[in-house]
Amino acid sequence: MTETLLELKGLEVTFKTRRGTLKAVDDLSLSIKKGEILGIVGESGAGKSMTGAAIIGLIDPPGRVSAGEVWFEQERVDAHPERLRGRQISMVFQDPLTSLNPLRTVGDQLIETILVHMNVSKSEAVQRARDGLAEVGIDPDRLNAYPHAFSGGMRQRVVVALALATEPKLVIADEPTTALDVSVQAQVLDLLKKLCRERGTSVMLITHDMGVIAQTSDRIAVMYAGRLAEIGSTREVLTNPQHPYTQGLMASTPSVDAKSFGKTLFQIPGSMPKLDALPNGCAFNPRCNQVHERCRTERPPLMSDRAACWLMETAS
Amino acid sequence: MRSVPSLLEGRNRPLLRYARRDRPLEICEGSINIGAMLLIILRRLGQSVFVLFLVAFVSFMIFRYVGNPVDNLLGQEASNDRRDALIEALGLNDPLHVQYFSFVGRALQFDFGISYRTAQPVADMILQRLPATLELALVSAIFAIVLGVVAGVYTAINRRGFIANTILSSSLIGVSLPTFLIGVLLIWVFSVELKWLPSFGRGETVDLGFWKTGFLSVSGLKSLILPGITLGLYQMTLIMRLTRAEMLEVLRQDYIKFARARGLSDRAVYFSHALKNTLVPVVTIAGLQLGSIVAFAIITETVFQWPGVGLMFINAVYFVDIPVMSAYLLLVGTLFVIINLIVDLLYLVIDPRLRDGQLKQARGQ
Repeated sequence: MTETLLELKGLEVTFKTRRGTLKAVDDLSLSIKKGEILGIVGESGAGKSMTGAAIIGLIDPPGRVSAGEVWFEQERVDAHPERLRGRQISMVFQDPLTSLNPLRTVGDQLIETILVHMNVSKSEAVQRARDGLAEVGIDPDRLNAYPHAFSGGMRQRVVVALALATEPKLVIADEPTTALDVSVQAQVLDLLKKLCRERGTSVMLITHDMGVIAQTSDRIAVMYAGRLAEIGSTREVLTNPQHPYTQGLMASTPSVDAKSFGKTLFQIPGSMPKLDALPNGCAFNPRCNQVHERCRTERPPLMSDRAACWLMETAS
Repeated sequence: MRSVPSLLEGRNRPLLRYARRDRPLEICEGSINIGAMLLIILRRLGQSVFVLFLVAFVSFMIFRYVGNPVDNLLGQEASNDRRDALIEALGLNDPLHVQYFSFVGRALQFDFGISYRTAQPVADMILQRLPATLELALVSAIFAIVLGVVAGVYTAINRRGFIANTILSSSLIGVSLPTFLIGVLLIWVFSVELKWLPSFGRGETVDLGFWKTGFLSVSGLKSLILPGITLGLYQMTLIMRLTRAEMLEVLRQDYIKFARARGLSDRAVYFSHALKNTLVPVVTIAGLQLGSIVAFAIITETVFQWPGVGLMFINAVYFVDIPVMSAYLLLVGTLFVIINLIVDLLYLVIDPRLRDGQLKQARGQ
């Protein structure tokens, strides 16, 4: 459990646009241990999905990884991320309705993936595909069904089966439950968590849903405007958030306690700055309720391996 | 002869939007249920027959009411007795619907009457000339579809490449030059200046008894090249541009991204995932274009003096040879209906969502 599987060092993803170069991910460093589930939270546009796509080299032009290193099992891999794709690292996308090719059977897509990555015979691949479906709770005899014959939740199960079919070491799940009904969300999440725990597969769970993160992950990384705001174990971050942004996020997460009936939800004032109009210093400073002079001029580094906030310094 | 693809877009889009429909279906997953499939085919056939009756009606109206058949056949100076005899023989005194059904009945037996000009049975004239047109159409259709799809896929994949852009810009020429000009230019370059290829006619043909083919002799094959390109060039550029646009659209889809994320090679992503998904609209257009290739071979056949049904039709128009014109109309109409039927059935083969949707409909009724 302690060995590092994936490490990002100063990862930077930039987009060239007419208004200059935008940093979608800015100097991001974090690591995932073997068998660990790391949750990445943040508002849309915070660079969460970009980070996931950057790791396996699936950023669409004009975006590109412009700086930083990606290390996977003590090897630097950012020059050829496509070698890991599908075999070592697989992905689960947000919308199960569009993730599967509508004109190919589910089994076809499973078997194809297995044959590409595993050195097995066709019949062995078919068997593995059947096992894969059974594992995610789908009747293996539906191998010949087309995606449109499945409900959204079942399709996401198929996607999970596809992601795990090649026994990868890391699954990057990009908002895997956002498009699903609430009752189905929990099923799919539990399934993903269970299967990955059984196999010791690490997961990078990208979501904007604090509830999902709290249930599933071992550690949490909070991103804001392409930067890492806070990182730590799930318990620490959720019960004792250090960064004012994380505190705000926690306060604005709706709960269904009897106590909270009729109460107005907390809101963080303002909205996340556009990437072409980032403020100087800390990106969060215009919205921060504990802002002071230094935040407006100097960008805070990650301190005590926990939060990128000048308050950490005054506290220690 | 330029058909408008945008007219058809409205027809394709809803098919693609099916992707969002998310209804579990327990029936006949994967395998095709033969009985229900037959039902679909039969229903399509029924619709086709109805359309054919309409086409036959228009064709009949031309035959019956464009000019006066009696005058056409006997001339103005014929005696009243002869006129009455002919009117009786042609059944022109019968009620309209009786005349129509006897016209259809005769057409079903491949009897389209006698040409005013050559005094030959029209059916014989068509049968004699149809092979020339069909062979020409086949060559240009293969040229258009193969080259169009290949170039379309190439330009979609190498979107920013120099060659792709060159192909794309030069395809504008194919779209905008009129057919007769292309034909004349090709004749000038390859027949007059270079003297490589014949400028007119079918060359030597081999008689197979029922079919005179130009495929079995060198001069026959050479003669096919220029008219084949002339006839197919516009269709090729159209198919190419359509394939490119559809492919680009498909490449933006999530399942393509997911296929890449699963580590499939570019080749597998492009050819085994993206290409099939671009085919539904391409098949529609290609099918309808195939119809127009045959129907509008008229210009190409005139330029190259190609002895096919198009040339026959043009000559029939010059001489107001009504039976030939109405038979030609019926022939082209039938061809379009058959092609449409095939296109519809191809949809069902390509797209499982449509297949299941139609099967459901078929079972529901």
